[in-house]
Amino acid sequence: MNPILSFIVVLIGVYGLATSKNIIKSIICINITQTAVVLIFLNLGSFNFGDIPIITDEVIPMVDPLPQALMITTIIIGTTITALALMLSIKTFHYYGTLDWKEMMGRE
Amino acid sequence: MEYVPIYLIFIPIITSMIIYLSDNRYVNYMTFLCQLVLYILALKYYMVNDGLIEEKIILLGGWDKSIGIALKNDALSMSFIFLSIFIWLMVLTYCWDKRKNNSKFLFFLMFLQGTFLGLLQTNDLFNLFVFIEIVTIISTILIVYKKDGYSIKSGLYYLLFNSVGMIFYLIGLILIYNLSGTLNMDAISRTIPSLRDTNAIKLGYIFIIGAIGVKSAFFPIYNWLPKAHSAAPSSISVLLSSLLVKSGIYAFIRLNNMFKMESFYEFFFFLGFFTSISGIIFALSQKDIKQILAFSTISQIGLILMGLSSMDGNAYIGGIMHIFNHAMFKALLFMGAGTIINTYGIRRITEIRGVFKRLPYTSIFMIVGILSITGVPFLNGFISKEVIKYGLEGFYLKNMMLYIINLGTSIYFIKFSQIFFGQADREKSRNLNNNLSMFLLASICIVLGSYSIPLTEGFFGIELLNIRVMTTYNLISYLIMIGIAYLIFKQVVEKDYNILKKIRHTHISFEATNFLLVMFIFIMMLWSNK
Repeated sequence: MNPILSFIVVLIGVYGLATSKNIIKSIICINITQTAVVLIFLNLGSFNFGDIPIITDEVIPMVDPLPQALMITTIIIGTTITALALMLSIKTFHYYGTLDWKEMMGRE
Repeated sequence: MEYVPIYLIFIPIITSMIIYLSDNRYVNYMTFLCQLVLYILALKYYMVNDGLIEEKIILLGGWDKSIGIALKNDALSMSFIFLSIFIWLMVLTYCWDKRKNNSKFLFFLMFLQGTFLGLLQTNDLFNLFVFIEIVTIISTILIVYKKDGYSIKSGLYYLLFNSVGMIFYLIGLILIYNLSGTLNMDAISRTIPSLRDTNAIKLGYIFIIGAIGVKSAFFPIYNWLPKAHSAAPSSISVLLSSLLVKSGIYAFIRLNNMFKMESFYEFFFFLGFFTSISGIIFALSQKDIKQILAFSTISQIGLILMGLSSMDGNAYIGGIMHIFNHAMFKALLFMGAGTIINTYGIRRITEIRGVFKRLPYTSIFMIVGILSITGVPFLNGFISKEVIKYGLEGFYLKNMMLYIINLGTSIYFIKFSQIFFGQADREKSRNLNNNLSMFLLASICIVLGSYSIPLTEGFFGIELLNIRVMTTYNLISYLIMIGIAYLIFKQVVEKDYNILKKIRHTHISFEATNFLLVMFIFIMMLWSNK
C-alpha cells in the first residue's frame, strides 16, 4: 500500500464534501476522508514493514507504535462525531422533512 | 502543588459526574464550590511558581518528553485559565435561576470546563486535536439543547463543519510528525529552524492553520459562527462567544510561537482586516439581536488577529489584551440580549423598544458594554485598541484600517442601541441573578479600563506607561467618530436599501463552505510560494 493511494482517497473525500448536497452524503464523505487520513498515518508509521512493537531480547525491525496509538483515538472521535451527526440529522428530518442542506437552511 | 494542572482538568469533570449521578438539586450547588476550588488552586499555583515567568512543564506517567503526554503552563495559559474560571462562574450565576434543577445541563457545562482547561494547558499537538474535538462535541450538545428545529440544524452545521476542519488538522499533523519525529510542541519548535524552508513543513503549517481558522472563524470560513451563536441558549452563546472561539485563537498563538513562519504575518494582518470588514457588513444588514452580536464577534476576532499577526511588540500585546476585554464585554452584551429575549419574547431589533424603561439595570450594564466595544476612553475596549494602534505606529494604511473598523463597529452599535429608546408598555421585571452577573462583568470592564497599566505589568511583565490613554484629544476624536457613525447610520443603514436586504438573506450552503475552506488553504499555499 502506498501513501499516495490513500492521499487520492482523501482527495475523493474532499471532492465529495465540496459537492454533495445531502446531509447523509456529507457525513459519509467525512468518514471516507478521515479513514483515508488514518491509512496514510499508519502507512508512514510502518516504514520498514516490521513486526509488532513489543520489546523482546532479540533485535527485530518494529513498526512505530505512536501512530497506531494516536489513530485509535482518532477513530473513536470519528465514530462519536458520526453517531452524533446521524442522530441530529434524524431530528432535522423530523422537523423539516428534508435532508438537503440548501432546502433545510432556506427554511425558518 | 506540583500536580495542579491535572487537578484543573479533572476537578470539573469529576464534579460533573457527581452532579449527573446524584441528580439532586442541593448537590447542584457543587458547581460553585468547584469554581472556588479551581480558583484557589490556580492562584496558589501561580503564586508558588512566581507568576510563571518561566514555563512549567509536567510529564504524565514518567515517560520520556518526546513520546509522553506533557502539560505546560506559562503566563499566557495561566491568564487564560483565570479568564475561563471567571467566565464560567458568571455563566453559572446567569443561568442559575433557569437551570438549577437541570443536572443534565450542568453536567455538560462542567465537563466542557474540564476539557477547555485541558486545551489551554496541553503541550502536545495530538492532545490539542483531541481536546478541540471534545470541546466541539460537547458544545454541539449544548447548542442543540433547546431541541427546536433551528438550533438542531445549526448544531449539525457546527459539528460537521468543525470536524471537516479537524481532518485537515490531522493531515498537517502527519506531515509534521513525519518530518520532526515528535508531537511535543517544545521539541518541534527546537527542530523547526532547520526545517523551516522546506515545502513539506510549510504545507503542514498551512493545513493546521486552515483547521484552526475554522475553529476561530477567519474570513471565508466563519459561516458556522452566526448560526451556532444565535441558535444556542443565551448562557451558551455567552460561553461560545467569549471563550470557545478564543480556543482557536489560543491555538493560533501557540502554533505561531512554535513555527515562527514570518512570511505569513503580513497575510494574517490582511486576513484579519477582511474578517473584520465582512463581519461589520453582515452585522449592519442583520435585524436579529443575537445575529448582530455574533457578527460583531467575527469583526472583533478580525481585530484581534490584526493585533496578533505581528507576534511581537506592542500590537501583539494589544491583541492579547483585546482577547480578554472582548470576553468581558461580549459576555455582558450576550447576557443582556438573553434577558431581553426572555422578557420580550421577540428577537427583531426593529420591534424591541423601550428596554430602558422596562429593564433599567440591564440597560445600564449593556450601555457600559456598548461604550466599551466602541472604544470610549476609560473603558477596557479603548485600552487594547489604543495599544494595537500604538504598535502599528508609522504604518499609515494600517492605522486607517483600524479606524475604519472602529467606525463600522460604532455604526452597527448605534443601530443596536435603538432598542433602548421608546416607551415601555409593561412594568419592570426583576431578574436578580442575571443582574448580578452583568453587574460584575460591567464593573470588571471599568476596572480593566482604569487599572490596565499595573495589570498588564503584573501579568505580562510589559510596561505601557508610554501610551497616554486618557487625554481630551481621545475623547474629542471619539465624539467625532460617533457623530460620523450616526450620520452614516441615518443616511445609509436605516433606509435599508435592497443590497442590505440581499446580504441579509444570503445563505452559504455546507458544500460551498467546504469549497471555501479548500480555497482558503489553496490561497495560503500560493502566498507561501510567492
